Amino acid sequence: MRLTSLDEMSETLGLRLGQGLAEARAIHPSVEVVDENPAADRSLLEAIADWCDRYTPLVAIDGEKGLLLDITGCAHLFGGEELLLNDVMLRLFQMGFDARGAISGWPGLSWAVCRFGHGGVVADRERETIAAPLPVAALRLEQDLVGALRKLGLKRIGDILPLPRAPLARRFGAQVLLRLDQMMGRVEEPISPRRPVPVLSCERRLLEPIRAEEDILHLAGQVALLLLPSLEARGAGGRVFELVLFRVDGKVFRIEAGASQPLREPQRIAALFSERLKAVHDDLDAGFGFEILRLNVLRHEDFRSTQTDFEGQGQQAASLGDFVDRVSARLGCHVLQGVALRQSHVPERASVFLPALDMPAASKRDDLHLGFQIRDRPVRLFRYPERVEAVAEVPDGPPFRFRWRRILHEVLRAEGPERISPEWWLDEEDPGERDYFRLEVMTGQRLWLYRKGHYHQDTAPGWYVQGVFA
Amino acid sequence: MAEDATAQERLFALRETIARLEGKALPAMAAARQADAAVAAEGAAAGSSNRFCFGVQEVDCLLDGGLPRDGLTEVRTQLFRDSGAATALLLALTSRLMGSSGKDEKATGEPVLWIGDTACVQEAGLPYALGLREFGLRPDQLLFALPRKLEDALWIAELALASRALAATILEVRGNLPGFGLTESRRLALRAKAAGRPLFVLRHAGEEEASSAAFRFRAEPAPALERRLPDGSMLGGSLGHPVFRLTLEKSRNPAPLSFTLEWNSRDRQFLLARPAVLPVAVTPGTAYPVDRSPASVDRPDRPAQVGSLLAFDRAS
Repeated sequence: MRLTSLDEMSETLGLRLGQGLAEARAIHPSVEVVDENPAADRSLLEAIADWCDRYTPLVAIDGEKGLLLDITGCAHLFGGEELLLNDVMLRLFQMGFDARGAISGWPGLSWAVCRFGHGGVVADRERETIAAPLPVAALRLEQDLVGALRKLGLKRIGDILPLPRAPLARRFGAQVLLRLDQMMGRVEEPISPRRPVPVLSCERRLLEPIRAEEDILHLAGQVALLLLPSLEARGAGGRVFELVLFRVDGKVFRIEAGASQPLREPQRIAALFSERLKAVHDDLDAGFGFEILRLNVLRHEDFRSTQTDFEGQGQQAASLGDFVDRVSARLGCHVLQGVALRQSHVPERASVFLPALDMPAASKRDDLHLGFQIRDRPVRLFRYPERVEAVAEVPDGPPFRFRWRRILHEVLRAEGPERISPEWWLDEEDPGERDYFRLEVMTGQRLWLYRKGHYHQDTAPGWYVQGVFA
Repeated sequence: MAEDATAQERLFALRETIARLEGKALPAMAAARQADAAVAAEGAAAGSSNRFCFGVQEVDCLLDGGLPRDGLTEVRTQLFRDSGAATALLLALTSRLMGSSGKDEKATGEPVLWIGDTACVQEAGLPYALGLREFGLRPDQLLFALPRKLEDALWIAELALASRALAATILEVRGNLPGFGLTESRRLALRAKAAGRPLFVLRHAGEEEASSAAFRFRAEPAPALERRLPDGSMLGGSLGHPVFRLTLEKSRNPAPLSFTLEWNSRDRQFLLARPAVLPVAVTPGTAYPVDRSPASVDRPDRPAQVGSLLAFDRAS
């Protein structure tokens, strides 16, 4: 067992990273050891990354202990880079984290300055003077490469910088030069954000934190009003919205809500979240209140603005969309479903259920042209065909009687068979042909039974009931 | 004199309230009602009656002109396997409702909401898209809601009525549930009244229960007639249009009433069926060791069943 991280106190005692636990205990018997928990560390880092969303939407997790923030175009909102860094550091310090930060033009340089230098803001022109005294380990190289460089006396970045590039590459590979170029800004290094960057985003920072649901909704409506001009400029309406709530103590809640049609009106967006908030009610712990409220548009679509006619047709479509949105927001998008037809003879494949949210409510689709006439289908189809014990005429007659759900039914009349062959282009193995019969039993019910397979000398096919007729 | 006038006015107001509670039209108030309706500009035009009918004269007479377009109608089945008849009745009524509302283009744009219940879906499946054609409904005219809990189902029903965006709402429940009693049905009926949209409750395998439905039917399948051939004769041994036996259990008409209707899917209308020539269905007696009482769940005030229930092995 080895030490993987140290706190301030143990550092002053002279313990080192990677030191054996037994050795550390031998030096300082009173040292307190806690097992490493990578999952918890990771979730803490994720939570901090979430919290960092307040500065920029482009937050990336860098290794096990670092975060990279792309603050391009964001610094002026906080009064400049210096103030932004101070703000981050101060808030993290107040939350009890020992953090170091640096701002520079390139991720590589920031990484190095923050871990091996003094941090702070590095101006572009002084990058060489700042980088030169840093150890070669600041180049983000593998451990043995660093060892090899050190063995040759190349201990600092300043030692490598003036060397000719070709021999360096021949001896140590392209990695060293790539990292060096990334640090010096000769090669662009992208930051890949951990969350999809919203298309549009608006937020409100509050001096006085809010807790009540009504306040949140009211504010969401106001923020949605701020989104309106941008949506109008794009000629778009949002389909998926995300409400991000930053709690005072650093926890971040994200609430997503989808709409059945592109939305723009602030009231309707707020109404979307009013159902969502009711659904997540218990999970949303307001604590001491929320200080930042942000509304993101994750997905948008073209907004067709239609003039309402005097009959109110447009309003009607809107109210149906509203109904679908509210139900889907509150109970989940799979609660409300529409039906679509598919080209298939197999009954259970011929109709599929789709979330109503994804079905265009206003558009009237024509009946699917199946290319064949389908008649005499049951009014209710069971979710799964149910096995029955049947006595039937061999080889291909309808059953005389059958036992379904423990009750014996006498067949009065039967129509059939209607043969439906399996779809060999879809099925992995041959499920067997089905012969469907419409039956009327003694008590009056009309049922849809089928025989799967055929009677052979030794095997008997299975009988199933799949639906009820009117 | 002035006091007299105010007393008169109060009397009229009370009478009107009572009439509204009872759902009757007071001749003296008709004019005021019409003015009201014009102002409210609801779905129901002031001139046309707020009912839709079966299209069979004898039945419609008994129903005082038809089922309410803005109220609660209940259909129940005694056993789960009768669900086909009840579903077909509701779909046929919905089809008639959508066809008969004077504003055709507008009405067909509105879908029908089917609120399914998990237990019912397990037992009896869902309405089948290809089977809807028999009732003149397109698959995209039906929206399904499959909530997990009864409270959610009631909430959806209420929201659907309030939104006025749905031509009809059908709420499926299983048996007599304590969570769906008189209070809830009264509340939904009032919502339906306010929104001017019909609500149908389909109670599978349930008993009669006090509810605020204006009409309650019990639906059972009846033997179908044979298919008609073009020359007017019948094709022997075939299964023709569906036939159901309806028992009107609750209405303003005191006597319970039973009739047999045939749904002609080609003309999309009901016909009074001729008495079937087929052997009458015999309900099997005690020879079957199966509990035939409806699968009613814990009803609030239900006497305990006498006798013992035996568990049999699964037959299938």
